[in-house]
Amino acid sequence: MQSNKKFMVMIGGVIAVVIFWIGWVSSNPADEKAMATFVSVEQLLDDNINKRTKLGGLVKDGSIVISETNYLDCTFILKEGHTELAVKYDKTRPDLFKDGAEVIVTGQYLDGTFYADELQTKCASRYEGDLRDENAYNLTEIDT
Amino acid sequence: MTPIAGGAALNLAFGFSILTVISLIFYTRSGDQRLFLVGQRLSLTISFFVFIATFILSYQLMISNFDIDYVARYTSLETPIMYKISAMWAGQSGSLLFWLFILSIFATITVIQNQNKHHGLMPWVIITLAVIQMFFLVLTNFVTNPFMPTDADFVVANGNGLNPLLQNVTMAIHPPTLYLGYVGFSVPFAFAFSALMNKDTSSLWIQSIRRWTLVAWLFLSIGIILGGWWAYQELGWGGYWAWDPVENASFMPWLTATAFVHSIIIQEKKDMLRVWNMVLIILTFTLCIFGTFLTRSGVMSSVHSFTASALGPIFLSFVFIIMIVSFGLMYIRKNDLRSPRKMESFTSRESGFLFNNMVFVVMCFAVFWGTLFPVFSEAVRGTKITVGPPFFNQINIPIGLILLALTGIGPLLAWRKTSKESLIRNFTFPILSGLVGAAIFLFLGYKGYVVISLSLCVFVTATIFTEFARGIKARTNKFNESIFVALWRMVSKNRSRYGGYIVHLGIVLMFVGFTGHAFDKEKEFSLTVGESDHVAGYEFELIKMSEAERANHYAWISELRVTDHSGQFITNLRPEKRVYFHKNPDVNRRQPHSELDIYSTMNKDIYSIFSAVDNENGIAFIKIMVNPLVRWVWIGGYILVFGTMIAMWPRKES
Repeated sequence: MQSNKKFMVMIGGVIAVVIFWIGWVSSNPADEKAMATFVSVEQLLDDNINKRTKLGGLVKDGSIVISETNYLDCTFILKEGHTELAVKYDKTRPDLFKDGAEVIVTGQYLDGTFYADELQTKCASRYEGDLRDENAYNLTEIDT
Repeated sequence: MTPIAGGAALNLAFGFSILTVISLIFYTRSGDQRLFLVGQRLSLTISFFVFIATFILSYQLMISNFDIDYVARYTSLETPIMYKISAMWAGQSGSLLFWLFILSIFATITVIQNQNKHHGLMPWVIITLAVIQMFFLVLTNFVTNPFMPTDADFVVANGNGLNPLLQNVTMAIHPPTLYLGYVGFSVPFAFAFSALMNKDTSSLWIQSIRRWTLVAWLFLSIGIILGGWWAYQELGWGGYWAWDPVENASFMPWLTATAFVHSIIIQEKKDMLRVWNMVLIILTFTLCIFGTFLTRSGVMSSVHSFTASALGPIFLSFVFIIMIVSFGLMYIRKNDLRSPRKMESFTSRESGFLFNNMVFVVMCFAVFWGTLFPVFSEAVRGTKITVGPPFFNQINIPIGLILLALTGIGPLLAWRKTSKESLIRNFTFPILSGLVGAAIFLFLGYKGYVVISLSLCVFVTATIFTEFARGIKARTNKFNESIFVALWRMVSKNRSRYGGYIVHLGIVLMFVGFTGHAFDKEKEFSLTVGESDHVAGYEFELIKMSEAERANHYAWISELRVTDHSGQFITNLRPEKRVYFHKNPDVNRRQPHSELDIYSTMNKDIYSIFSAVDNENGIAFIKIMVNPLVRWVWIGGYILVFGTMIAMWPRKES
């Protein structure tokens, strides 16, 4: 019985340490890139949020501009609903990045531009193909 | 016609699953043997109809019957035959059917294997399995039916085709292995549940599932490693693990399952930790279902982004039902779950196992916390905060290192209590080796976690070798055998123990590989033919650029000559930029893809990506990464598989 009590104390101690550790890391991340707040573009612009954020939206058609001197430098307009925001990104772009693509960017907003250091594309169109999207099919329609 | 047969087979299977449950519940009430036999056969019939449905769907995929919506979505006439079959698990409804298919294979094996065994346990085992089958049958029958006809008022001449990222051998086998693992835990769970129902939670049910658990664990491990390998080879971000929600979804049950694999040894040998083992297997199984939920619900945005669907709430309710029913039953049975024996000492094998178990569960909780952090933070503070890999690394590296240390310490402790003398005797050599290792790594200029991790690797390797050496020495002295004969006999006499040590060795090698991550280097640059650039002491010269049209894509091929700092030739790398569906008149439907090239040695990998091409000016845009020690991770994986196979190899009946 005595030894069981000791074990209970030990287990309780370990749990306390772990909760402390997880709580501590959650509130003091070592790397500034560890956390990002997911906000809407509108919220970002309204509140002028300058900490690290994550945004989702579509790449506005025809808005991608690639720098002539450095191919990696790229700006585009991110559209979420009717709100638009200029985004700057200077790393290798994912294969599926193009006009109209659904993207998630992570970075920081500063003086009207969003400086992204992460750019993820979603490829929903081919993974869960949209049946009603006739272009997806190479169709031969029958005359009705 | 055939699609209708497929749908009908699923209907029938659903009906039989209800009948199975009813007849067996009546059996547990009445004890009429005939009802038990009926239940057994009905359960085999469920599986039989699931097999038929699965074969019909794979046949329809092979003959490209685009009248079926699923076939039209995930394959096209050009899709190679192998990927037509693997399209079975490319989409939602198909993969649910595939899950059900594997579950039915396992259910069939369980029923046939135990026809004349475990008469007390089997009724509830079959009921539990039939209920799980029923859940997936509800999904495939009523929520997303894989045999749904194409909903279009035109004839579909060709299908969508499979995502090129998935046209890869690893990707064809990674999901099935992961599924074999996920689904495999249904069987131990069913036995656990049955033991609870029967009020017999001693070691009987544990003995009947030991091998099942190892098989499921092995497949889950292989599935996870293959997933990492595929990401490394195909996705082009230079890593194998990103703490993506879906990766975490497979890692969490792996952690609890690993804890379970260890703690069942104690219940088998000492009849302790009954409650704990129940908790672990229930957690593992619910985490497997929860993993499917995370993958399929679209709650989390991830690279695996499947579209949101109606499945989320259904899965979540199933998870809650399992938890409530199982834990509720545990509460009712709390008196039966009391173990007759108690822990005796901190320095015992039992307490070592208990510690290791707690750390595994803690790590699982940490991963769970990070994965659902956006959900928690939104609920508490109203802002959705996502956490990235640095968060997971910061939180898990210390926990992982504690686990690594326990891997070495545990096996050296004796059952019940380890005496001071034997503590000193067992630990002197491994600790000294670890310290010498640490001194060398510090001398080489490494710091912090790297030194701790590598010296722990040395320490654990030393303990494993001492264990082997001690066993061999005892045999050579006693039976006068040669070293190799002694090794062979020792391992085959005690497969689970030495197999386990070999798995530990594999884990150590993987940790060496993980540690290499601290030294990763990367650089992005552009080159024209003849130019060169430097990364991490290597020079990369673009010597050629060419183009080629192949069967299902168009490719730009760059050729890089790699030399080291002394000008010594290392290799030529040929990363490609490809466009799939390049003949599609709609430019937006063409799909670019970077095919990378990797030069891999024990020491480091040189990883090259051809990210883009500027045809007008003949410029290639290249990304190079130099990743040390990655190969150790894969080698560790092979050793882990080898060790597990030894541990679960059946004994000769004697």
